[in-house]
Amino acid sequence: MSNHPDRSDLRNLQDKTAIVGVGTTEFGAIYRDLDPERSAYELGLIAFRQALKDAGLKRTEVDGVIVSRLPHYGRMCEMIGLRHPRFVNVLPGEGRQSGIALQYAALAVANGMADVVACIYGNNGRSAGAKYGGESRGISTQAMFKAPYGMTSPGAVTSMMFRRHQYRYGTTTEPLAHLAISNRANAALNPNAVMQRPITMDDYHGARYIAEPLCLFDYCLINDGGVCFIVTSAERARDLKHTPVLIHATSQASDITPVYVADDFWHEPMSQIADDLFANSEAPREDLAFAQLYDNFTPTMLFTLEGMGFCEPGEGGDWITPERIGLHGELPLNTGGGHTSESYMQGWALHVEAVRQLRQECGERQVDDAQYGLYACAAPLATGHILKRDN
Amino acid sequence: MTTESPTPELSYEKPLPPVLELTKPFWDGCREGVLQIQFCNICDLPWFPPAEACPRCLQDDWEWRPISGHGTVWSWIRMWQKYFPGWSPDEYPYTVALIKLEEGPYMYSTLVEIEDQDVSCDLAVEVDFRRVNDEITLPVFRPATT
Repeated sequence: MSNHPDRSDLRNLQDKTAIVGVGTTEFGAIYRDLDPERSAYELGLIAFRQALKDAGLKRTEVDGVIVSRLPHYGRMCEMIGLRHPRFVNVLPGEGRQSGIALQYAALAVANGMADVVACIYGNNGRSAGAKYGGESRGISTQAMFKAPYGMTSPGAVTSMMFRRHQYRYGTTTEPLAHLAISNRANAALNPNAVMQRPITMDDYHGARYIAEPLCLFDYCLINDGGVCFIVTSAERARDLKHTPVLIHATSQASDITPVYVADDFWHEPMSQIADDLFANSEAPREDLAFAQLYDNFTPTMLFTLEGMGFCEPGEGGDWITPERIGLHGELPLNTGGGHTSESYMQGWALHVEAVRQLRQECGERQVDDAQYGLYACAAPLATGHILKRDN
Repeated sequence: MTTESPTPELSYEKPLPPVLELTKPFWDGCREGVLQIQFCNICDLPWFPPAEACPRCLQDDWEWRPISGHGTVWSWIRMWQKYFPGWSPDEYPYTVALIKLEEGPYMYSTLVEIEDQDVSCDLAVEVDFRRVNDEITLPVFRPATT
């Protein structure tokens, strides 16, 4: 272990709360049906309705709401008829916030601020024509020193980091191809995924560059959708419909700089999170049945694996093999297809996939012996959780 | 040091930075061929991009000081995606570099006087300037000669 500060107080939250209901819109169907009038709130509503039904809860039993990417909690509360919430929050529409939404919900429930918190996300980015790059009006202080050079988009900064990783460790794009191909193979077994046609190494290497060295298949999709998960106490969860999925361990760490990139590929925050999770989990690393790793772009998964100690820094390129990361491998990754193939729900759908795997609901893509699973997101603001199927 | 941009001023459609009270000295310096960033007068910390106070002392006792203009290429990309107007088709892919300045802070920029195949991370570079219009001159970087 490293010399990270002891954060064993995190154990206070262990198994106190659970995800009891999950909902997702039909990602593939609405991808093929662009609608410029589709609102993010409508997508959030559809997901909320499904999550409520999934949990077997009544609308009136929800007393807390956290929204993300939706501009205002008030509109969402109006739409679901929640007039007197006890706990609300709005998180910005950035992917690193999905893990934080779960953390806030768990904190609120564990400390008596709310009984049942619905975390609701809606994204109409594709219908609204979001490009995730090229913004030059009303730009931030950081952006005004980048845009004149044509520097824009989260993918371009990730590409900068990956090029640096290549330089420092001799990494090739081969492991990125394995990640993209594996995501797609998993999506092919996921009826709800946007992209279901398998891709090959030739497809990967023939794809157009976006911000070189990254190509099209390294990038997340842009698609519309909504996701909801509902959190309540473990105690209450045991009286509900499904086997509870407990929030067993969770942690947050960060490396916030003006240029987004980190010289250590976020090793510091990710290794802190790994220490926090494994020191405060009853399950060793080997017991993880899968990992849902934030994959806005494929290198982010590589940085996460190295940072969290699945391999040494610089060895991710060799560690990532199709055998190891496949559905029946040592550590199945992004079992639903991830952001590059299932749906770009900014980490939210990765949480739902983790829950469904732990509940053994995943049909053809179900992994073996899913008792514990990992979610992790490497970013300037990083999060990780170990989720556990209740005994 | 300042050279004329080959692009006629009236047809310049690439994004340009707004000149704010906080950032004006940076652009004034570039126009005169001087790269300068903020330094804290209490603890001597340099920082970039501009901010209202020293991130360490939190005081607003700072000044703009010229810097060496030397640094290294932390990393670089070739941008193929057409996100912005203003780049003509034959300019794609264009190069963007993240420069680690000798003084510590990082700065996004582009590279000149070098072919892509010769670019590498940790390449030593020095600042040069490209005039865009009467107000804006952009700092760019070229392989270090000194």
